[in-house]
Amino acid sequence: MNLSVTGEPEALRSGRGEGANVAEKVLGAQGLVKRFGPVTAVDGVSFEIAAGETFGLLGPNGAGKTTTISMVAGLLVPDAGSVTVAGVPMGGSSVEAKRHIGLVPQDLAIYPDLSARANLEYFGRLQGLRGSTLRQRTAEVLELIGLADRAKEPSKKFSGGMKRRLNIGVGLLHRPTLLILDEPTVGVDPQSRNSILESIEALSVEGMAVLYTTHYMEEAERLCDRIAIIDDGRLQAEGTRDQLIELTGGVDTIRLTGSGSLDAGAAAVEQMPAVRRVVRDHGTLVLTVSNAPTAIAPIVNAATGAGLSLADVEISRPDLESVFLHLTGKALRD
Amino acid sequence: MRTGAVLAITLVEIRRFLADRSNIFFAFVFPLVLVLVLGIQNSGDQPAGRVAVVGDDSSLQAALVDALAGSDLEVEETDAETMRADVAQGRRQVGVLVSPEAARAFDDGDAVELEIVTGGQTAALAVAQVVRTAAATAMLRGGQETVLAGTGATEQEVDEALAGADERIAPASLAVQDTSEVAQEFSNVTGIQLVAGSMLLLFTFLNTLAGGAATLIQARRDGIVRRTLAAPVTAGQAITGIALGRLAIAGFQAVYIVVATRLLFGVDWGDIAAVTVLLLLFGLVGAGLSMILGTAFDNEGTATGLAVGLGLVLGALGGTMFPLEFFPDTLRRVAHITPHAWGYEAIAQIQRHGAGVLDILPQLGVLAGMAAVTLLLGSWLLRRSLSRAM
Ligand SMILES: Nc1ncnc2c1ncn2[C@@H]1O[C@H](COP(=O)(O)OP(=O)(O)OP(=O)(O)O)[C@@H](O)[C@H]1O
Ligand SMILES: [Mg+2]
Repeated sequence: MNLSVTGEPEALRSGRGEGANVAEKVLGAQGLVKRFGPVTAVDGVSFEIAAGETFGLLGPNGAGKTTTISMVAGLLVPDAGSVTVAGVPMGGSSVEAKRHIGLVPQDLAIYPDLSARANLEYFGRLQGLRGSTLRQRTAEVLELIGLADRAKEPSKKFSGGMKRRLNIGVGLLHRPTLLILDEPTVGVDPQSRNSILESIEALSVEGMAVLYTTHYMEEAERLCDRIAIIDDGRLQAEGTRDQLIELTGGVDTIRLTGSGSLDAGAAAVEQMPAVRRVVRDHGTLVLTVSNAPTAIAPIVNAATGAGLSLADVEISRPDLESVFLHLTGKALRD
Repeated sequence: MRTGAVLAITLVEIRRFLADRSNIFFAFVFPLVLVLVLGIQNSGDQPAGRVAVVGDDSSLQAALVDALAGSDLEVEETDAETMRADVAQGRRQVGVLVSPEAARAFDDGDAVELEIVTGGQTAALAVAQVVRTAAATAMLRGGQETVLAGTGATEQEVDEALAGADERIAPASLAVQDTSEVAQEFSNVTGIQLVAGSMLLLFTFLNTLAGGAATLIQARRDGIVRRTLAAPVTAGQAITGIALGRLAIAGFQAVYIVVATRLLFGVDWGDIAAVTVLLLLFGLVGAGLSMILGTAFDNEGTATGLAVGLGLVLGALGGTMFPLEFFPDTLRRVAHITPHAWGYEAIAQIQRHGAGVLDILPQLGVLAGMAAVTLLLGSWLLRRSLSRAM
């Protein structure tokens, strides 16, 4: 089931608000299927990414994110489906499509016994960088990932976060058209994570298309212009954050906790047009409302007016977690 | 770009090898040990060997034993059966059969044929050569004596005449006919020449085979291979790059052995260009085979163990432990499924017959073909290994 929320072209255009121009398509993945023996790891996944767009693949462990990415990057041959990068078909004996991709694998992929600089230079050479261009890009990336002063140390001496940053840096060297990041922040402290996310935001501003997988919904919400929710090898839904949230019905929850006349308070707020449902839960009224930020003030007034003395007010807006729950009946994180 | 990527991979392999100090130690010390072992085999203090002479009392036999006694060899007269058993079991390196016909021919000053039985050890080849020379000396002298005695001269006159007239008097037609081609093949190689060539092949192959498999598995486990193949690099380029890296390391050690044995023990390696080309192609087969092991197996220990076993078995079957010339015909044909047999043949041509690159083109061609097949198979396996969880 693919609950594509909007027609793809609209989604692409609306993605970064680039007006009437149809953004250039950087990646097209069509009907990707991959089986490992009896397991169908990826089952008919299709999506597109435009230049400058950050596209998120959000799903729990084992959803098929890495397998999808491996097919996109040309590392796994799909059992069905096709991939086009910058208009060049991926696969066969041609490595042309790979020139446009920068892959940051989920597991660290750097030489532990080589220095940060040597690692960068090696992978830069594989990308065809040479001479002064290579030296200059290496220096720039070392600066960007904050390892300029540790460039000569073997990477095995780095902290986990530093290794992660080097792992990301390798993918950026050749200024790829499409940067693919597979859960780049796993096992990173909050501060390093924040700096990684900031760098990615900056790259996207520069016009790089980014394919980002994660099982952290906050990261997907913060970074991604469009998000696809993947579970069991299938895309369950795809769209902007707001479009996805609309799938849940777009309702917020307000919790009013207090003492005094709970019943009178309930009766008062129930009359209001924004309130769809009121449930009494011990000393708390749980309200389902259509737009909490605008409805909250009149609701609080009405409740206190009816004799409820409030101790706590809590608003929760639907998030991707609720979307995932809504679509799959499962929690995103187990 | 194509060669650029291969070169980058090759260089990083070498760089990583050098980054580990214990590697450098082994790179220098292990070949040195090999060179020293070769040197000991070559040293003159070794008992030169044991020879059995078989035959009825005859002047030929007496002359032969006399001539052999002049060498370092230990000589014993015995019967044919004991001699064959001793040679077969390695107690004696060489046996000489003096037939009644040969004894008669010697007395008559006619052409003499001696049968020489040679043991399998490489040392036997050197001993056989000494025996051959001694036999030739005995017969030359005997022939001259016979000719002179035929003139009716006294023994003393004969001796005097011979002392000054070696060149003036043509000896009776004398020839030592080694019954085995093998002895002829080795008639102008000393022991160390032979051993050095074989050992160099054996070592170079083991070196590329065992080292390459482990580095490849490690690179696969570290995700380096995936990342390399996510760049615009084909599996063939990746495999070739790694294989060339291993080849460069093994090649450096091979050159080191060649130079050291040349300088220290005067080993004549023949045409250096031919030896170099041969070692490169031969080592590339080893490196290619290691790429197959490194992609077919996911465990370094298993792959390295197999590599060493395979290197030794191929080396033995291919004639680098026990000369190919001693193999029965069928086994010798079978041996040519190994790169070692082709390498051995080529190095024998270079060292013993002064062959150059052009003379060993057939062997080089076969080795190049083997290298290409292993590298292609390795590339195919590498692509397949990407879908395998490690
Ligand atoms: N090489 C493989 N061999 C067999 N099964 C595999 C292989 N790779 C992945 N799978 C299976 O395919 C499914 C999808 O795995 P995948 O690694 O793509 O998930 P993921 O979304 O990246 O998960 P995570 O968040 O844990 O990284 C899982 O069931 C996994 O066990
Ligand atoms: Mg994954």
